[in-house]
Amino acid sequence: MADISVGLNCPACGGAVSVVEGESTLLCPYCSSTLFIEGDQGVTTMAFKNRVNRESALKASRLWWSRGWKARDLKRVGRTTEVYPIYLPFWRAMTRVAGWICGYEIRRHTDSKGRVHEQKVPKEVMILNDYRFSEIATDPGDLGIRSLRNFAGETSFADFDMIPTFEATTSKDDALARARSDAQSRARSSAKVSRVTMERLHVLTRRLSMVYYPIWVVRYTYRDRMYMTTVDGVTGQVLSGRAPGDPLFQSLAITAGTSVGGLAAALGIIMSGIAAELMIVGLLAGGVILYITYRFFRHGSEIVEGEFKHKPASVSQTIKELQSAARTLQEAYR
Amino acid sequence: MRIVQVKCPSCSSPIYSKQRDQLFYCEKCNVLHTRNGGVEKLDFEIAEFNRSLSGEKVYVPFWRLYCSFIIRSKSVEGGHVFRLMSWMKDEDGSGTLFIYIPAADFDPSAFKNLAIGYTVSSPKYGSRLDFGGARRMPAVMSREEAVELADFVVVTMEAEKPGVLQRLDYSLTVNSSKVVYLPFIMGQSGLKSAL
Ligand SMILES: [Zn+2]
Ligand SMILES: [Zn+2]
Repeated sequence: MADISVGLNCPACGGAVSVVEGESTLLCPYCSSTLFIEGDQGVTTMAFKNRVNRESALKASRLWWSRGWKARDLKRVGRTTEVYPIYLPFWRAMTRVAGWICGYEIRRHTDSKGRVHEQKVPKEVMILNDYRFSEIATDPGDLGIRSLRNFAGETSFADFDMIPTFEATTSKDDALARARSDAQSRARSSAKVSRVTMERLHVLTRRLSMVYYPIWVVRYTYRDRMYMTTVDGVTGQVLSGRAPGDPLFQSLAITAGTSVGGLAAALGIIMSGIAAELMIVGLLAGGVILYITYRFFRHGSEIVEGEFKHKPASVSQTIKELQSAARTLQEAYR
Repeated sequence: MRIVQVKCPSCSSPIYSKQRDQLFYCEKCNVLHTRNGGVEKLDFEIAEFNRSLSGEKVYVPFWRLYCSFIIRSKSVEGGHVFRLMSWMKDEDGSGTLFIYIPAADFDPSAFKNLAIGYTVSSPKYGSRLDFGGARRMPAVMSREEAVELADFVVVTMEAEKPGVLQRLDYSLTVNSSKVVYLPFIMGQSGLKSAL
């Protein structure tokens, strides 16, 4: 099990003290001595108390089955095989970014005579913001969880003996470096300065800690295939999951996709009398749409929610891609 | 990991406190020290309260950084005045100033207002030897972090003048630092300076 700072005693009075998150100093509650943690302070570790039981984890999971474009008979046919809680370790950091990003953007506008004018609009943007960062500190495997969504709850190590704990495997320095670069890039994108002439950003780390978070894993089968969901052990919400997609919806989506693709390709051929480039555009667009539909068809039998490393195309993502392909097509013909 | 009792580096008296603080103050011998990267006694000053004000007295710790700067070049779109000009000794764009960085835990906007306010017009005060029973806000910021933020304060002063800052090529050196406890009154709408 990971290094957990429990069972420390006040060197002045011998009373039991606990280290407060992310702090190098603490106060003895018995003799009010100021205490200091010397040497490698390690990382303050805390654990959230598990508030979910087997029944509520199952309930949340079944509710998730019935939402969205999942197989309509999932509630009837799906069979739960395993339900168990685990503690997953996360790095959690608070950073403050202070600085300035200066530069300009170019605005173009067309006047009544059709002439295009360029205008340079100078910008100076102050950045002074606190950012929260979290990242899983172990290999999450197939769980589809990479960061924390909830940061509030009762903390206690009381469940540690009962719930299997994953050990932290990633380094503190790496996590800190990623927290800092994450804060910096979020600050940068919030400034929205397209052409930067000066950037001076300072990143201060306010806190870095290791959080053990309770998560329930529900594994189930549907027509001989294995699926899973994970349920937040504090809030009771489903965090991630895999489920079978609905065959009817899929075939509709695929029919629509292939018809649009075919249409676009056909249009390209019809237009060929007008211009060769237009024909190529049409054929290309048809190909793109066919590819998107094909990819969905290949992986679309599964609905996936959560932060998975390799995510198959989701329904909404596929629709979005189809729409953007349609837009490109429209613009090409205009 | 080892826990030690914090004792004054001067007289070895244990430090008792009701709040966690990066700065440790010994009431016996009036010594302030920090332990970020080793035990170190700090140069510090406590400002006198304005006696005509009443209310809950609070001391806020600031890092006062005595800095030298050299401005090499600056470009601004529309408007062109150096604020640092007022501290410039020479025509060559160099000078010195005191930068005040609040060391207590403030939200970003309060932090900025306090830092800019006191840096733009240095507080004038008589100093005293102890806190006279007034509450101290705990420090959460190390000197290294304060030094990091000095640049932010300078650029903010320059950027907040008329015109849009495009570039500021300058260097800043922190020559010395001091902890300054400035007096405030805790009012219903927050902290109010009690100088
Ligand atoms: Zn004690
Ligand atoms: Zn002392």
